[in-house]
Amino acid sequence: MSAYIQIGNVQKSFEGTTRKTEALKDVNLEVQSGEFMCLVGPSGCGKSTLVFIVAGLVMPSAGAVHVGGVPVTDPDPDRTVVFQGDAVFPWMTVAQNVAYGLRQSKASKKEIEETVSHLIELVGLSGFADAYPKELSGGMKKRVDLARAYATNPTVLLMDEPFGALDAITKEKMQVDLMQLSVTETDRQRTVLFVTHDLEEAIFLADRVAVMTSRPGMIQIVLDIPFARPRDASVKLSREFQELRGKIRELLVSEEEIEI
Amino acid sequence: MAERQGGGKSDLTGRPRRGRIVSKEALISLLTVLMVVAIWYYLTDSFIDKLFFPSPMDTVLVVGRMEGVLVGYFFATMYRVVVGMLAGAILGVVCGIAMSWNKWINSILDPLIEALRPIPAVALIPFFILWFGIGDTGKLILTALGGFTVMVVTTLEAIKHVSPIYIMAAQTLGASRLTIYRTVILPAITPPLIGGMRVTVALSFALVIASEFMGAQSGLGYMIMLARRTLQTDAILVGVIIIGITSWIVDRMVRVIGNYLTRWAPSSD
Repeated sequence: MSAYIQIGNVQKSFEGTTRKTEALKDVNLEVQSGEFMCLVGPSGCGKSTLVFIVAGLVMPSAGAVHVGGVPVTDPDPDRTVVFQGDAVFPWMTVAQNVAYGLRQSKASKKEIEETVSHLIELVGLSGFADAYPKELSGGMKKRVDLARAYATNPTVLLMDEPFGALDAITKEKMQVDLMQLSVTETDRQRTVLFVTHDLEEAIFLADRVAVMTSRPGMIQIVLDIPFARPRDASVKLSREFQELRGKIRELLVSEEEIEI
Repeated sequence: MAERQGGGKSDLTGRPRRGRIVSKEALISLLTVLMVVAIWYYLTDSFIDKLFFPSPMDTVLVVGRMEGVLVGYFFATMYRVVVGMLAGAILGVVCGIAMSWNKWINSILDPLIEALRPIPAVALIPFFILWFGIGDTGKLILTALGGFTVMVVTTLEAIKHVSPIYIMAAQTLGASRLTIYRTVILPAITPPLIGGMRVTVALSFALVIASEFMGAQSGLGYMIMLARRTLQTDAILVGVIIIGITSWIVDRMVRVIGNYLTRWAPSSD
């Protein structure tokens, strides 16, 4: 199986007014088709920038990203993003938000309606189709965002610390639900790149975890997560899980020391 | 807001509780109005010469006396305010959007707008009378110019402050630039545009009245000027009160329409 997402020698620097910041330096990473890959790293290491480059929202200074063998030059509904912040359009109802991507395609009205109501049910928001986002909690808004990203049936789902702003309980519920979604028939083929700074979240969700160095960000190591999917939240308590967590933590801590 | 007690207490949303037809607060406000009228009546009845300020009775009576001409003047002023304001505001929003859409349009229009912005439109009235005479044309253009300046600046600022996350989300979902303007930028800038529109309403009334002062053959401003020459203070006051009430009603309308258009926004008033 060849890699579906190929990140090759990607570099990114930002020109500031006083100095140039090197955010990413020679990032090489391959994500297999249907794989759930988590990206962890110290804050400010360019994890989000890397995801934005894969999304086509940011252009790399050097290097290239290929998805399905095609170089990424622009955003595409085949690579949707769930952002860290609240990106749900407040002026649209839940159903209108979820339908947004499909409206831009050639999908028929009936098709859109069916997909939207199916997705709203899937993410557990039945009965809220006509609600405005202001009536929803933070966790519910994230579910809208997730449904909206799923709606175009993308081959790549990019998630930039999507649950970072949620409280611990809501976050765990979202993780378990996302796990459930990721093993459904249609979703098993979807390639996911998920950025987080929460190591537990990364190990719980991912097939593999890529650990980045601090700025300028590079891929330090890619670890296999051996637990079979779908996973239950109780896996977090297992010894193996905690050992993995300790290992990644050490990798990140040693990075922080270099920084100091 | 100060702590309140008793039956008129608000709930957490700030709306008065149901159960009473008139809240205590409204009653107090009404008392204030009555008090002012009473003091006004007393003062004009005793100390103040009618020549300087009319009594409430005179003010009411003059409305009856002037009814025919008053209605005509009222509509003359309203026509100038509403048409001038809407034309200026629409043009302002369209120009603002065009300037953010295309950097060439921006480079062409930006210096013109920057040059226009610090000039109070009233200062241009003499020119407008010179160019367009004392009919409607000059007043409409002047009012439109005032509204245009406010709305073009408001629109540009509002677009600058649209959260980039919404635009990125739309891009990744396959929206074209035009679609993003229609479905993201336009709704996102509606709340600040409503605010700009309220400023425009107040400005438009001021500009129309001022231009009617300086040269006109109809309108409430013209009526006030005529009354000043003949020392008819009651007619002056009637003009002022009508302008005040109308301006308040138009502002209220903008707010009601605005609240409807931004019903999705958290905590609208």
